[in-house]
Amino acid sequence: MVLPQFEYLAPATIGEACNLLLELGEGAKVMAGATDLIPPMKDKVITPEYLIDLKKIPGLDYLEYDQEEGLKIGALTTLRTLETSPLVKEKNPAVAHAAKMVASTQIRMKGTMAGNLCNASPSCDSAPNLVAQGAKILVQGPNKDRYINIEDFFLGVKKTSLEPGEIVTGIVIPPLKEHEAAAYIKHAVRKAMDLAIIGVAVKIRVENGICTDAKIALGAVATTPIRAPKAEEALVGRELTDEVIVKASEEAMNSCDPISDIRASKEYRKDMVRVFTKRAIRQAMEQLA
Amino acid sequence: MHKDCDKTYFKKPEFYRLTGENNYVRIDAEDKVTGHGQYVGDIMFPDMLTGKMVRSPYARARILSIDTSEAEKVPGVKCVLTPKDFKWAAKVGNGEFAAEFADKEVLCGEMVRQVGDEVAAVAAVDEETAQIAADLIKVEYEVLPGVFDPFEAMEEGAPEVNWEGKGLRNIGMQSVMKAGTDIDEEFGKAAYTQHREYGTHRMVHAAMEPHGAVATYRNGTYTVWMSTQMAYVDQFWYARCLGVPENRVRIIKPLVGGGFGGKLDSYSFGLCAAKMAEMTGRPVRMILSREEVFQTTRHRHPIYMKIDTAFGADGKLLAKKCYHVLDGGPYGGSGVASCAQATLWANFPYKMNSVDFLARRIYTNNPSAGAMRGYTACQVHFAHDLNMQYAADQMGIDPVEFRKISAADPGYVAPAGLTITSCAYKETLDTAAKEIGWYEKKGKMKKGEGIGFAGTGFVSGTGFAVLEAPNQSSACVTVRLNKRGMASLYIGSHDIGQGSDTVMTAIVAEELGLPMDMVKTFMSDTFLTPWDSGSYGSRVTFLAGNAARRAAVDAKRQLFEVIGPMWGVMPETLECLEGKVISKEKAELQMPIGDAMFRYMTVKGGDELVGVGSYYHRTDNSQYNGVNTTNYAPAYSFSTGAAHLTVDEETGVLDIDEFVFAHDCGRALNRRAVEGQLEGSIGMGLGYAVYEHNITKEGKVLNPNFRDYRLPTALDMPKMRTFYDFTPDQEGPLGAKEAGEGSAAPVAPAIANAVNMATGIYFTELPLDPEHIWRALHGMKDDRNSK
Amino acid sequence: MVHKHTISLTVNGDQIDAIVKDNLTLLDFLRDQLFLTGTKKGCEEGECGACTVMLDGNPVNSCCTLAVECDGHDIVTVEGIARDGQLHPVQRQFIEKWALQCGYCTPGMIMSAKALLDRNPHPTELEIREAIEGNLCRCTGYAKIVEAIQAAAAEMNWEEASHA
Repeated sequence: MVLPQFEYLAPATIGEACNLLLELGEGAKVMAGATDLIPPMKDKVITPEYLIDLKKIPGLDYLEYDQEEGLKIGALTTLRTLETSPLVKEKNPAVAHAAKMVASTQIRMKGTMAGNLCNASPSCDSAPNLVAQGAKILVQGPNKDRYINIEDFFLGVKKTSLEPGEIVTGIVIPPLKEHEAAAYIKHAVRKAMDLAIIGVAVKIRVENGICTDAKIALGAVATTPIRAPKAEEALVGRELTDEVIVKASEEAMNSCDPISDIRASKEYRKDMVRVFTKRAIRQAMEQLA
Repeated sequence: MHKDCDKTYFKKPEFYRLTGENNYVRIDAEDKVTGHGQYVGDIMFPDMLTGKMVRSPYARARILSIDTSEAEKVPGVKCVLTPKDFKWAAKVGNGEFAAEFADKEVLCGEMVRQVGDEVAAVAAVDEETAQIAADLIKVEYEVLPGVFDPFEAMEEGAPEVNWEGKGLRNIGMQSVMKAGTDIDEEFGKAAYTQHREYGTHRMVHAAMEPHGAVATYRNGTYTVWMSTQMAYVDQFWYARCLGVPENRVRIIKPLVGGGFGGKLDSYSFGLCAAKMAEMTGRPVRMILSREEVFQTTRHRHPIYMKIDTAFGADGKLLAKKCYHVLDGGPYGGSGVASCAQATLWANFPYKMNSVDFLARRIYTNNPSAGAMRGYTACQVHFAHDLNMQYAADQMGIDPVEFRKISAADPGYVAPAGLTITSCAYKETLDTAAKEIGWYEKKGKMKKGEGIGFAGTGFVSGTGFAVLEAPNQSSACVTVRLNKRGMASLYIGSHDIGQGSDTVMTAIVAEELGLPMDMVKTFMSDTFLTPWDSGSYGSRVTFLAGNAARRAAVDAKRQLFEVIGPMWGVMPETLECLEGKVISKEKAELQMPIGDAMFRYMTVKGGDELVGVGSYYHRTDNSQYNGVNTTNYAPAYSFSTGAAHLTVDEETGVLDIDEFVFAHDCGRALNRRAVEGQLEGSIGMGLGYAVYEHNITKEGKVLNPNFRDYRLPTALDMPKMRTFYDFTPDQEGPLGAKEAGEGSAAPVAPAIANAVNMATGIYFTELPLDPEHIWRALHGMKDDRNSK
Repeated sequence: MVHKHTISLTVNGDQIDAIVKDNLTLLDFLRDQLFLTGTKKGCEEGECGACTVMLDGNPVNSCCTLAVECDGHDIVTVEGIARDGQLHPVQRQFIEKWALQCGYCTPGMIMSAKALLDRNPHPTELEIREAIEGNLCRCTGYAKIVEAIQAAAAEMNWEEASHA
């Protein structure tokens, strides 16, 4: 299999990259690990005329934790780094786990979380967790830098709200505070290499036995990751009894309208949302126990 | 040498030094771990061109025109091949004996019959140019309605998929196997009868190495390096289709990165590479993409099976009727014997008084099906073993005991003529039951937990000959000994990864008492090595192994006939052991084998010593002529698989705690090789049972990649334990029987029976992926598999 | 227009300067330009692992890596891990344990195993299986591969200890 022809560009600064992207327009694609780009290019699903590689730009491969702001992840930070970082495992294990759920070791060695998000695949493993945890995407453009709330980032399959010339340079995930926990569960047939049939991410706060905040996000059930607000409402203000959890899981199930495809039918996806919402809530509760 | 050859000089087990041990390594291992070994894609020539095929996007269509003008203008394009270049060529089939039924054009002249059917080919200076040119070839089609369900294909008025106008109603092949007592009487006197229906899905071999060929044309000779399981069969079809005698076609098998039956067809891409090598005068390389492998190479037949069985009050199997319908796709190819074999397996591994089996292989516009590890045994045993389990449960008899009641025994002759020699089926059942902990766990398992067994049988060394030979299905081997006592071994059989070259080398080293590195092995080159019809039907170890042994023994005998008289002893009292010729009677008489060879050559006027050996299964032609009652093989292998698992009833996910495998392969020639085959069988069987499903829509494969065609990963494999120390076979080479093919069959039914126990639901279709199980648990129909 | 770049990298310790097309993958560069055919083509889309090589010590799919991306980097292939005529312990144990059959996944499998042992000398069985999760094998059922990697770890640790 041969890649279609394109021109490879490796700018030295982010400003240069943004200008190139603006100038070259639709035909240009930004590349970090390239693992989500090369297979569809070989299949001629996408045929960019230019690839703008960010890897020569210094300062984009970082991983920090700040008490106030939380985890800060650079655009070139690989999924493997996130998966294996003791810092991430300690401060936000769900992020490490979600990173590990992507494809294979080899892919995660090159692939980045930013690239995984920009690919905007409905089954993206990184996204639901970030949605549940209210992450922000740090974007630099030709004129200004800005943050995009993760929920505003995805517009559809392979579509993001990035403006012409804008490049994702980092991800900020707010810290898990006291009484807060998060979990992500991917449901797939194989234990590696598979795309998610569905994914469920949960973040809860439980104080004095009462759930005071809940965010639930679902992957692979719509064109973008989605929240399940009714399921969240079913948890907040209540003690997380089995009955409450079951109710919330059913609300999550009812809040999505997935498609049937070769990986799973709509009915199965919906019921798995129910099952794994329940399990993800319980996993998060176990961390608090 | 014939079957009843003189065994005087066969080495006795007390002198074995390699057999059943683990004191040597594979002869190809170092090449493989260093990356130095050459597979077909690694063969390079400085002026080599790269080829690409142009394929039909439609399952059934008439070709109206082919316009190659744009492609020819691309700089770097050296050759464009269209159907007219093969205008007078013969069609490709599989069995020489059925050459008149060959049904596949090299390039489709008028009709395309499946998605991916070959229409044209291009050779260019590099892959990129070839692909650009291939994409520029404009083929105009008239798209016609296809037929994708074998039952619909048999209906009046269905589109004719192949042999149009012959009125076949798409019944490409039909096999009947009817023998034994009056079957109606047996059913009449039965204490219990049942009717059950089963279905299996589409699977592909997915060898890690894609199919490929590199061809040259020099001195009027086509030389083709081919990733193949049957170089000699390729030679036959290449000669026919290229319109030359066989002495102008040399097929060389380099290392092959897995076959599993998928490389048993002479595919068009290789023929096009050869033709383009001739037309350009330059070597042409043609390697398939993974998507082409999934769409255009052969698949495991989906089979729909209806079974009626009759049992006595004691649970004894009395009689069986079955009707198997195979979805063959539009071409025969390596599916040639699938129909007959789909009746054969229904005999195993049980005794019964009467059989009435019918199988039909139906032409459809789905991707063509063909040989795949087990060759319909995986499908048939899935159905027929689940049928046994169902009967056991209905009759309230323990599943292990129930299988033992009717289990085949040594010496049993089945109504259809199958003659069982060594048989440890009952022992495999006992071993599997004990090791999986059946008797401790029985009746004590929690909800969602289950243990399942499946028992199967397979041919060891098929008698089915693909090429016409002086003796059916023979394998030939030549051994040469030089003056230093080094042996050169020439074998026609095909190592496709299973390790047969190592086994053949070890057999010869064993008989000649040589260390492994004193035997140099040359394999599968139609101009160099002796004839062998290929790696299929579990014939390699048994047939080629026996041939190798006979060749070595033939050499040994000739040597002893010179050395014996010299020492004043009878030749048959000598033996080759640890690099020496020794007298078994007088300890002082011994000599390094190199010295003995020097003496031999001195006596023989300088002649090197050559030993020849061959082996074939003595049978008759009835398996080809419709009677279908015969003894298919010189021996049969038997297996029991046992799975212990838990079903997550909310998600349908299986957690397989352990898989125990007991396989009667006679005497294991090499323990690790046998274990590797059994473990690999569990992997592939598990894939078949749970993970892998080649999903098609109107003949197009929807998941032609490893992303959605799910081979089990290292994380998906359960704990496995294998048991294989049963009785040596009298006829097998050094006591061995097959270990790599029949072993694929019991995995899926064992898992299915365990799922049945865990859920209380009798599943009848594969694969048992989570959604399938979830649907059944929720009382929902699963029509995702519908033809 | 065909776009090309000059790249400079090390492959198995050798300094290489080459002109590569922008659309050339590392896999095709290794095989067709350097004739290092030990790295295999299985799927070409990052789903089988047969093409695994080490890029700056990390196992990656060379089919999903551009040659031009490797400018200034260090590549090690299966041809480059034997030292002074001695096979690497992972290679040796793959031979000893019969951890290969057709051998087509073997080079990639060995590179994943080596990369694991380079950073984790005492892996658990689960860690070994995770390290090769992206390397599909159709022949073996993985059991002997896992065993070989365990044995290689033991051998390397023993060598380490005996040199200390």
